[in-house]
Amino acid sequence: MALRSFARSSDDRVVAGVCAGIAQTLGVDPTLIRLIFAILALAGGAGVLLYLALWAYSDSRSIWVVAILGLFGISAVLHALGLNDRVVIGIALVAGGLTLIWRRGGTFARNAPLSALGVTLAAAGAVLVLSRGGVDQSVLAPGAVAGSLLLIAGPWLWRLAVDRDAERTARIRGEERDEVAARVHDSVLQTLALIQRHASEPRKVAAYARRQERELRGWLYGDRAPDDSDSLSSLLAAAAADVEELHGVRVELASSGDCPADESVAALALAAREAMTNSAKYSGADLVDVYSEVNDDRVSVFVRDRGVGFDPTAVTADRRGISDSIVGRMQRAGGTTTVTSAPGEGTEVELGMSRSAS
Amino acid sequence: MKRRVVLVDDHHLFRAGVIAEIGAAVDVVGEADTVADAVPLIRELDPDVVLLDVHLPDGGGDAIINAVAPDRPGVRFLALSVSDAAEDVIAVIRAGARGYVTKTISGEELTSAIERVAEGDAVFSPRLAGFALDAFRDGERVGGDAELDELTPREREVLQLIARGYMYKEIAARLNLSVKTVESHVSNVLRKLQLSSRHELTRWATQHRLV
Repeated sequence: MALRSFARSSDDRVVAGVCAGIAQTLGVDPTLIRLIFAILALAGGAGVLLYLALWAYSDSRSIWVVAILGLFGISAVLHALGLNDRVVIGIALVAGGLTLIWRRGGTFARNAPLSALGVTLAAAGAVLVLSRGGVDQSVLAPGAVAGSLLLIAGPWLWRLAVDRDAERTARIRGEERDEVAARVHDSVLQTLALIQRHASEPRKVAAYARRQERELRGWLYGDRAPDDSDSLSSLLAAAAADVEELHGVRVELASSGDCPADESVAALALAAREAMTNSAKYSGADLVDVYSEVNDDRVSVFVRDRGVGFDPTAVTADRRGISDSIVGRMQRAGGTTTVTSAPGEGTEVELGMSRSAS
Repeated sequence: MKRRVVLVDDHHLFRAGVIAEIGAAVDVVGEADTVADAVPLIRELDPDVVLLDVHLPDGGGDAIINAVAPDRPGVRFLALSVSDAAEDVIAVIRAGARGYVTKTISGEELTSAIERVAEGDAVFSPRLAGFALDAFRDGERVGGDAELDELTPREREVLQLIARGYMYKEIAARLNLSVKTVESHVSNVLRKLQLSSRHELTRWATQHRLV
């Protein structure tokens, strides 16, 4: 919660409106604050002194007036609490010293000059406070000095650590931004440039956009799919991506079940890639549907287009794609190939193998 | 009369693209990019179909359906997403969406999907068909209503053909059915997806705190 800055109340005042001002700042009942000051006033007049200090502060009087009034006020409170002179003076010295350090440095920023007077005052105060017990001065004095140094240096060191953390965070942010910028430049901006240059070729534009989408997606979400490597579906996805990119068609993937990619599954995926390539190159369709299904005993992949189709019995020998890359490869891997096609009705290639063979 | 459509997606460019593609065939009456904006907008406009992204900045598409469906039973939802994750899609389907299509769908296909959803049919993209087959895979039954927990062999056949990229009329021709019968099989599968207590589906839905 951010405190509002303290100001005397001008409309709700008994003496100068200091109590009402504090109450407003803290959001409590003014009567409560007045009561506290009244009780403090009984403690050697501390309430009065503190009241005057705050009054001076709110009127922007010299900081020294405020500090001295405040110090005396706090001293009076401490006295009233039963602490002896020595401790009270010690605390006052520490407080004064720290105030000086703060004021001179402004903040505990790393390069702010330390006030020698402030350090001395605080150290002396700390020695007074910590050596008060009078048990064994020779033992306590070094401890007191160390304690005082800690008092002085602690906030400064803390501030240093905070600064360093902030700097480190900023540096990491900067590095991240650089990485994103590099990535955006290498891929997204290049792609946008390519798209502008090929604006009249929708297929190319679509292929660029899809490749870019895939890349970005892989980069953004890649680490969320650790099991993505080397399964049938990941091999098919990679194949589909390549075919989309090379031939400017859309490949829609669907799957039911998946399995790890051993040698024969890899062969199956390669055959599927070849089938996708054929559809992309020869069918004239702009969409190829690929569906893979893995059961306990069988793996099947269907590659289908709605293009021109052909007569499977009349394939010429130079269309080596189907006979070698698909049928032959599937046979060697112990699988089967079924090609269903007719002129004008599109083509579907069904690749299957039993899982015991794989 | 043109179908009245509300489009909910947090990508402005994507919305503009969709409107450019389907704007001639349907009447896009409203757009929203968050759950918070979409819910009152859909209540107010009472459109025929809401095209719904699965992921929004302030929640899932299922949150919109859950908030709107009870008092606007006439509004049909169609999920439109790039999401690849089965659980996200299943969550939206179980919340009540009538179908799921991927964002790479062509404008023509999208228009016909909107039309079908508006008429109360289910729209399965190949990918959703694959998810459904996965969900109703053998050996994962957990009791409950057996009718809802199993696909009939025919439904399975229809889904497999959808997954392979066949259109309804192609499926009808191949299985010697009428297109209407194919549609009713798909609608049945959708109903089972939404109502079944099967382990897989419940698990997916639980991940999205629907149950």
